[in-house]
Amino acid sequence: MDNLPPANDPEKNSQQTLHAMLAKVWERSKSTVAGHVQVLQNARALAINSHLDEASRLRAVDSAHKLAGVLGTFGLPRGTDLARTAEEAFGNPDGMSRIEMERIGAALDELSRLVKTDDPSIPSKRAGASG
Amino acid sequence: MERSGVNEPLVVEWKDGMAYRILIIDDEDDIRQIAALSLETVAGWDVVLANSGRQGIERASSEQPDAILLDVMMPEMDGPTTFLKLKSNPKTSHIPVLLLTAKVQGPDQRRFAGLGVAAILFKPFDPLTLAGQIAGVLGWRQSA
Repeated sequence: MDNLPPANDPEKNSQQTLHAMLAKVWERSKSTVAGHVQVLQNARALAINSHLDEASRLRAVDSAHKLAGVLGTFGLPRGTDLARTAEEAFGNPDGMSRIEMERIGAALDELSRLVKTDDPSIPSKRAGASG
Repeated sequence: MERSGVNEPLVVEWKDGMAYRILIIDDEDDIRQIAALSLETVAGWDVVLANSGRQGIERASSEQPDAILLDVMMPEMDGPTTFLKLKSNPKTSHIPVLLLTAKVQGPDQRRFAGLGVAAILFKPFDPLTLAGQIAGVLGWRQSA
């Protein structure tokens, strides 16, 4: 592992090791995460045109749910909040109002930008450790 | 109920000189990887992975883990169904199960709690404190 601290500080050592490993998992997961965001963008586009079918709506709920679960774990709590907003909106089988659709559009745009980060503040940073 | 968010001291848990063994059942690759890294790196536990309820039941029977971390929303066999099958099998009924869920609404939580699981942990979790949460819920000794 790159840039590991000396072995005389086991706690910091394990934090930095974990941070480095999670950064690699994030790199591998980014395409999956982007795919889920795309599912949501597609569902919103269909909803705007009143063409959102039940299968696409449920797929959007599932993608939003997965994003809500994983983004905060990668140190992107704002991503979890945005994904929960989308999960709630697409979870309503009665559809969305125009205002809700605009709100979801803004949320998904922010989510798209957020998940492109190369450096989510994963655990060792949250814990105040260096690295 | 345990909820991530507060950074607690790192823990290293052992039983009789052996590392605890945890089975993680989750259909999402990244969640399995993060949880496994977390428990292996922070606590030094052995981790066994399963990507479905069906595979999880098989692994629980063959690997005899000390605890199971079980995702709620999975295709084909969801977490609650998997839990009930684990509890109905004499080979796995003794193993404590912690549900892992991104569902935060009260009715869902009450339904899950009514199943008789050891605890409900929430996604997103903090990889630094996940082991401590599990150890705390199960009363495992913190040795470091």
